[in-house]
Amino acid sequence: MHSPVLVVNDLSVERSGRLAVEKVSFELQSESETAVVGPNGAGKSTLVAAILGLLPRTTGDIQILGQPLLDNGHLPGAIRSQIAYVPQSLSLQGRFPLTVAEFVGFGFDPPGPSWPWRHRSQRRDAIAEALERTGCLDLRNRLLSELSGGQLKRVMLSFCVVRPRQLLVLDEAQAGLDVPSNERFQQLLLELRRQEGWTVLHVSHDLDMVRRSSNQVLCLNRRLCCSGSPDHTLTPERLIDLYGPNVVPYRHQCHG
Amino acid sequence: MGRMWCLTAISAMVDVQSLRLVLAEPFMQRALVGGLLTGALGGLLGSVAVLRELSFFSDALGHSALLGITLGILIGVNPTLVLIPFAVVFAILVNQLVERSSLPTDALLNIVYSTSLAAAILFLSLVETYRGGIRQLLFGDILGVSTLDLIVIALLLAAALIYLSLSMRAQVLLTLNQDLAGAVGVQTRWHRLAFIVLLAVVVAVSIKAVGVLLISAFVVIPACAGRLLCRRFPLYVVVSAALGGSCALLGLLASGLTNLPSGPSVVMVQFLGFLGALIVSSGVFRSNRQRRTATLTIAGSE
Repeated sequence: MHSPVLVVNDLSVERSGRLAVEKVSFELQSESETAVVGPNGAGKSTLVAAILGLLPRTTGDIQILGQPLLDNGHLPGAIRSQIAYVPQSLSLQGRFPLTVAEFVGFGFDPPGPSWPWRHRSQRRDAIAEALERTGCLDLRNRLLSELSGGQLKRVMLSFCVVRPRQLLVLDEAQAGLDVPSNERFQQLLLELRRQEGWTVLHVSHDLDMVRRSSNQVLCLNRRLCCSGSPDHTLTPERLIDLYGPNVVPYRHQCHG
Repeated sequence: MGRMWCLTAISAMVDVQSLRLVLAEPFMQRALVGGLLTGALGGLLGSVAVLRELSFFSDALGHSALLGITLGILIGVNPTLVLIPFAVVFAILVNQLVERSSLPTDALLNIVYSTSLAAAILFLSLVETYRGGIRQLLFGDILGVSTLDLIVIALLLAAALIYLSLSMRAQVLLTLNQDLAGAVGVQTRWHRLAFIVLLAVVVAVSIKAVGVLLISAFVVIPACAGRLLCRRFPLYVVVSAALGGSCALLGLLASGLTNLPSGPSVVMVQFLGFLGALIVSSGVFRSNRQRRTATLTIAGSE
């Protein structure tokens, strides 16, 4: 029996002067995929930010790969380098002079200051392999700011896969993608998760995708309303409790 | 026709002669080195500042620096010595204000800089003896750069180069997405503050040479030209610094030959460089070449 990759215990987090997450506890088992669902303003992104050490905790403990996350958000470098994160978007206003290969290379570099020419050949090989695995090799010399939404998300997965990691956190990573791009992204994520043995925590509004891909669902509305398997949590009654009476749960027949 | 050619040749020789005379002056040599270093420093830090949308910060700091200079005059200390601590305190205060306030950054910067500019002008009006020097503060006096100033600027350039080389990953990720940077272990608060303080010190040190009104041009224009021309990040940083340095050098030489004010001459050369970059990047040459190729093909087929 593996020890859990992530343990969140009695976590409360304040944001803009109000309690955005209150007394939340859960565990992520190794190589599992857990989805956080809930309405807007339910504290999903706040929960993710606290887990990554980006926001201070009001109460509670977080352990990642057996190491406690300190109050100042510090984690030992060896643990920090095991975490990958895919945000909703990147700030790419106008022409941003950064190629896809350069961006992916930053995912290879260890945390902390380092000279840009360190481990040059190792870095170059790792970038090429990561881009090939995500089907982005032909984009390597394109500017990041020239990519479409779907291409950018696949490049972000290259950033995650360029070095071995254990925990992948996605914060509404599919936001803004059209249906084919979303499907392609999901397929790629599934393949990479299997190959890499990632433990995945993702925030999503796509309940159909959550039902198909997740082992565990956390229904969050400031507090943890319910958690468990998709069949247990994504029932019409629980969804109406979570999102309100105006939600009409519809299960896509193609996916059963 | 032959007479015209002779006249042009003579005037060119006179120009070379005056250029030699100008370059022989020690103050001009110091000014050229100072301009080269200040321009390169502005372009170097500007490359990151422009991407991080901090262009207005350097402008606001430049204007607010007038208050630091005025305080120096009022307490009877060399304004340059007061300016560096003033700029550092200003940068830290603005950073805190931006982090803690829910107001937009540009609005906050506007409030801070217009208030400090107003206070500076009020204080300056009390100092009768300094009224004549306001023009130098506004437009800079690169010809008055001392050897000590050159050493300080050179050390600052070396420090900025080392810091940016070591933290390139942190700077890029912080610009792209602060949460992404934090998630992969970048000390986001520390790096944000360190960069702003470094930018503030550079602005403070460069004001003597460039002036309060034109300092933001040194940070913004070469970096924008570099952004239009380059695709790779390290090349972009180097090209921005090189453009900053070379435009300053050309602008100072033009100023020495024409006896026009140095700071504005440099900014005009920077602007010409930016226009050149804009033309090259907009593909005017490429589309002309394509049109020519198409015409040749049509002509060939006929």
